[in-house]
Amino acid sequence: MANFLGTEAPTALDGANTTSNPPAHHHKAYKASTHMLDEHYLTPASIASIEVHGATNTRRSLLNHIFNPLVESSSPGSPSTLGDVLGRLSVATRKLSRFDIFKEDAFNVFISEAKRTESVLPTNQTELNISISVKEKSRLVVSAGTDFGNVEGSAYTNALFRNIFGGAETLSVNASTGTRTRSAYNATFTTPVNGNPDLRVALDLLRSTTQKPWASHEEHLTGGNLRFSWLGNAKNETHTLTYSSIWRQLTDLYPTASPTVRADAGDSLKSSLTHTFTRDRRDNPMLPQSGYLLRSVSELAGWGPLNGDVSFAKTELETSGAVPVPIPGVKGNTGISLGAGLRFGLLYPLPLGYALTGPATPSRINDRFQLGGPTDVRGFKLGGLGPHDNYDSVGGDVFAAGSVNMLLPLPRTDTDSPLRLHLFANGGRLVALQNQNKSSEEKAFLKMGSNQVFHSVKSAVGELGNGLPSIAAGVGLVYAHPVARFELNFSLPVVLRKGEEGRKGLQVGVGIKFL
Amino acid sequence: MSPRTGPSNSFPNCHHLSHRLFGMSQTITKTHDVSIPDFFSAKTSYFIRITFATIQSIPNNKTTRTAMTTTATPSKPPASWALLQIPKPIQTLFNKFPLVTYPSNDLPLRTQLLNSSSLPTLYIFTTEPDALANLPSFNPTCLKWQTLLRLTRTPHRVLPSTNHASPTGSLPFLLPADSTSSPSKPIPASRITNHLSLALPPPPTAREETFLSLLTPIRNAFLYSLYLLPSYEELLNQFYIYPSTSSSLVQKTLRYQLRSAAAASILQSKNLHPDGGKEQIDEKEIFEEVREALEALAGELLQSRTEWFFGRERPGEFDAGVFGYLWLMLVYMGGGLGQVVREVGGGVLERFCRRIAEECGWDL
Repeated sequence: MANFLGTEAPTALDGANTTSNPPAHHHKAYKASTHMLDEHYLTPASIASIEVHGATNTRRSLLNHIFNPLVESSSPGSPSTLGDVLGRLSVATRKLSRFDIFKEDAFNVFISEAKRTESVLPTNQTELNISISVKEKSRLVVSAGTDFGNVEGSAYTNALFRNIFGGAETLSVNASTGTRTRSAYNATFTTPVNGNPDLRVALDLLRSTTQKPWASHEEHLTGGNLRFSWLGNAKNETHTLTYSSIWRQLTDLYPTASPTVRADAGDSLKSSLTHTFTRDRRDNPMLPQSGYLLRSVSELAGWGPLNGDVSFAKTELETSGAVPVPIPGVKGNTGISLGAGLRFGLLYPLPLGYALTGPATPSRINDRFQLGGPTDVRGFKLGGLGPHDNYDSVGGDVFAAGSVNMLLPLPRTDTDSPLRLHLFANGGRLVALQNQNKSSEEKAFLKMGSNQVFHSVKSAVGELGNGLPSIAAGVGLVYAHPVARFELNFSLPVVLRKGEEGRKGLQVGVGIKFL
Repeated sequence: MSPRTGPSNSFPNCHHLSHRLFGMSQTITKTHDVSIPDFFSAKTSYFIRITFATIQSIPNNKTTRTAMTTTATPSKPPASWALLQIPKPIQTLFNKFPLVTYPSNDLPLRTQLLNSSSLPTLYIFTTEPDALANLPSFNPTCLKWQTLLRLTRTPHRVLPSTNHASPTGSLPFLLPADSTSSPSKPIPASRITNHLSLALPPPPTAREETFLSLLTPIRNAFLYSLYLLPSYEELLNQFYIYPSTSSSLVQKTLRYQLRSAAAASILQSKNLHPDGGKEQIDEKEIFEEVREALEALAGELLQSRTEWFFGRERPGEFDAGVFGYLWLMLVYMGGGLGQVVREVGGGVLERFCRRIAEECGWDL
């Protein structure tokens, strides 16, 4: 095989000669290289050859995308130092690991000095042979299991096909059935674009049936998403742009369903474009004690070429942060931290089609925001805040929610223990658009002029500040497992609006996202 | 978990970087220092799926709710909960909260039209403008009940809806007028008569019961024409498909579902296997049977000593049921079934329909 540099290095990239365990001479080479690292970090160095062992099912072109830039910038004769080479190599291997097709704990990099060939003129550059050994993750993982929660129990099967075409493409097929999500089928195909693990495109097909007891109905979803994801310029930033087209069917109403829910029963197609931006600079997402999170979700549905049955612009902003609290006299991390979170959301009805001023249809229950719940505004039932028609939480078009909390280490535990005590107070307001124009004719047709929409939204935003928000406060235990956070809280509602469903006493929350 | 040894330690972050761009974004930091076994990703997705779980530990929750809402709920039987009763001091504390209670949030715009009506509301297949003017529905069963309410001069209003909204899975249903005592529960079509105590003629005699079976061939012919004849596809679209969605793919799916359901319904009425497909349906037989049924109806009407079926003074449920089908045939299927309705019995059925429409105040 023609190697990157055409030297006499052994060939392995084509997978014909892969080794799972590095040969013994590499260990000697390693010793030599550490010695070299100490003494010659600044010595000129270049890459004579790169081998990748163990990438049996991976396409050469994918590896080229990763290693070609490295080879080009560190070829013999280029003014690079050993430090440069190692730095670039580190970047390249990290990139390789982000494809998520190689086992994390089987990444090994070996560096040895290349033998000088007679034909090459002697230079003061050290030429390096680089050998990277990887182990591919299994290409097919089938798993099945049961999940449980207090209001939801479910069983799932999942098949994950990794690296299908050798270019780090992934297909994940998932089926589950449960008490609340009665059935869900999902197939997602993901592939990196242009060999870049940080720019991916994914196609997602889904079909699900979910019970929504807070609004007395069941929702059937059938549709697909096309998603582009990429890393932002700054640290820990991700962007996602999604086009989704989903047929929603609101059906199987409970006998007690309210007229609001009955009015929205039936079919609708949402065709929308959503941009999500996340900057997560928290030290630990499950138990943040310093750093901050910024997230924005912007969605445009139905307008212009998007079509569909619903048309609106929807935006949601979320920010949260934490600071460690020092105690005078105590050195280092006290394990005490103060955190706060703020969320805001707005739904703006738009006319269908290209017009900006035509009549718009008010929002449906499946497009409006819901607020409240053990992982949201604690001390309230799921969807406990906002407008309620009888016992149905019918959602709102504008919301604001905030929380403050203090994490305290439990007595006789380490300051970095995942178990904490926390005190919290949180609250929010969820408001639905109101008709400013009281003429019954317009009301009857369920359409709003653009002027009317503007004034309705304006007054709904104003309504957020009318009186105190609905508030609950309490104390609880937090357990931060690496994959999810568990909370057991005792809370009492302090401020409520009639119809809102607060919860007095104990509440358990399990999730990955908390207010 | 395997210890990280080996030469690659010289490349910081090489190992424990598991940043996922898709799905849950998660960084395994040094603190946890875990390697990632294969099952990990599956577990991860599990936790994405369940994001919350709640327990309800306070038995007096229901009482709280009653206190918070204006509508009264039936009081709970306290006996079974006696053992779980909360200690007095905690109960006293609970009773103090919430400290402030504001008036309720206003309901969303789409609700305001539907709520706070002092009139019972009949949910039917219709369009918004037609509903405002209380014009006839384009669905035979909905039209039957709409007609009955109008014939009995029952004050009501109609609203467009879909089968999904109905407690029985098919329209129509009635939502009683708002009362302050309890949230109104929907009344399915079969119980409307009782609920509104409609002033209807006495129940049918055994002889009259036999005429009910004549409605089956009429229904079959109507279903066959509207759903299965290509010439009425545009009508079907306007009635049931376009109002549901503007997406052509969803429209196709809905149309397919409706057609299969119509074929199954016809087959079932003929005691054939409902999954037989529309090829099993004998078109000629369908149209022969409907003509016979219509002739029988026309004969009965000609013999009646009044203008209505069975010599009644006022039109009743049977009259409304017949009108439901025949009116739609006359209005929308002028060339096909409408022609048959006009022909049989020298036009007696058409005149009957016009009288009913007139009684209902539909000046058409």
